[in-house]
Amino acid sequence: MKGKVNIKEFNDHVILYPDNYINDIEGDKLDYMCDYLLKKGIKKFVIDFSGTELINSIGISILIGIIEKVKRHKGVVLFSGLRKVNQNIFNIVGLTKYVPIYRTEREAVDELRGNSVAMK
Amino acid sequence: MSKVEPTLERLIFNLNTLAELGEEITSPKAFPRIIKSSLYMVMGSFLASKGAIFRYDQAKRIIYPIASKGFGDIKELTIKLSEEVVKEFVRSNNPVKMIDNEQAVKMLGPARAELEKLGTRVIAPLVVKDELLGFITINEKFSKDEYTNYDYQLLSIMAQHIAFSIYNHSLLLKLVHKYNENRRLYDELRCSYYDTIHAFAAAIDAKDAYTKGHSHRVSAYCAAMAREMGWSEDEIEGIRIAGLLHDIGKIAIDKSIINKASPLTKNECRELNSHPVIGYEILSKIKFPWNGIPRVTRSHHERLDGNGYPDRLKKDDIPMGARIMALADAFDAMTTDRPYRPRLSFVEAVEEVKENFGRQFDPHVVRWFFSVIRKEILGDVEHPSIIPLLQERLDRVTINRILKDIP
Repeated sequence: MKGKVNIKEFNDHVILYPDNYINDIEGDKLDYMCDYLLKKGIKKFVIDFSGTELINSIGISILIGIIEKVKRHKGVVLFSGLRKVNQNIFNIVGLTKYVPIYRTEREAVDELRGNSVAMK
Repeated sequence: MSKVEPTLERLIFNLNTLAELGEEITSPKAFPRIIKSSLYMVMGSFLASKGAIFRYDQAKRIIYPIASKGFGDIKELTIKLSEEVVKEFVRSNNPVKMIDNEQAVKMLGPARAELEKLGTRVIAPLVVKDELLGFITINEKFSKDEYTNYDYQLLSIMAQHIAFSIYNHSLLLKLVHKYNENRRLYDELRCSYYDTIHAFAAAIDAKDAYTKGHSHRVSAYCAAMAREMGWSEDEIEGIRIAGLLHDIGKIAIDKSIINKASPLTKNECRELNSHPVIGYEILSKIKFPWNGIPRVTRSHHERLDGNGYPDRLKKDDIPMGARIMALADAFDAMTTDRPYRPRLSFVEAVEEVKENFGRQFDPHVVRWFFSVIRKEILGDVEHPSIIPLLQERLDRVTINRILKDIP
């Protein structure tokens, strides 16, 4: 599936920018994009939600799928740019226990480059 | 089963998810997308990384996935269910824990092993009006936490929502199936109806050795004119049928009169001219799906100047269908051999129509008729229906010359 998920690709990591609203279609695009990148050998992912207004249960299920997949490949996923409402949702469902969350994309990338982050 | 109570924030999040689920299942999206989104909502609510929605096929007694996530391609998977399993789930209509649960062993029978292969932790039946429609299955939570009592309650409510969505969809499918079945029956009936009318037309034409195919040609000319005049498909169909039946009254006329080569006596003429009224009497007793067929039949020998028969109607008192038919009928009579004279050429027939323009024939109808003939010759009509029935070949130069002074 050819998605329109915005992406910044670097040598050893990528930054993904999901849409304003993660529904089933947008979520699947994000999922397929991760599959594609994992096959290319990328193992470090930052998902930046600064352009995402709301993440509902559909978004949560998509993100869990991605986290599991990356985990299977012994990779790392970091989240950044979460609005307060979305951070609250992640807290409620308990996702924050499994994925490190950074204020900005820059902070997340710095953490990746420092190579000090491991999947919780 | 854990008895951990959810926080207020969690309750609000779940309430919101239920509202979204309600919105999703009543949305106009395609059914597979609704089901997929619904599954994602269920999985997201419980942090389940794998799950599926199965549909139950009552005839085959199997379940098969209509949406899944996390398993790869399981489209071909089918799981057999016994009648007892179905009854048991309809009776309980509650989510069932799969692991370390005697109830699940008892309820699912051999199907349990298949579901365990998928790693199913909870199975929720989808039941509406005591009918099993399918199941939702979810695997372990991403967090590895146990499913709580509250989770089972929430899943039960979500399953009810999804069950109604599937139920409505199956009602729609049944409706579509019924519609298609009725449509097919209707088409079959229509075919046999047309066959009967065509047989009638053939019987009418068979009375006259010279008028073989007359009713079919009149029917085709009428339909072509009506289409050119912008009539609806239904109206066109009506006049096509009227064309096939317009001479049905001739069935009651003595064959020797119809086929007489010499001039008719006054009595014979009166008898022959009674065919529109006889036709009207016959057709009035038939309930046609189209209006006006008996009237058109009765009035197809009326003339604009009031010198026609049987009612000596004038101008607008003559139904438009009858004015169309009068021209089609006369034109076919002119361009085919008759017992009392050989056929006229197309040019001669046009001249005769011109001579009777405004007296016998409606000028508007004449213009439409020649307009469609011109279009057919110029190749502007996809399926020409007049030109192929004429007994001579016409070219565009001739037609332009003949028709140029049509008023």
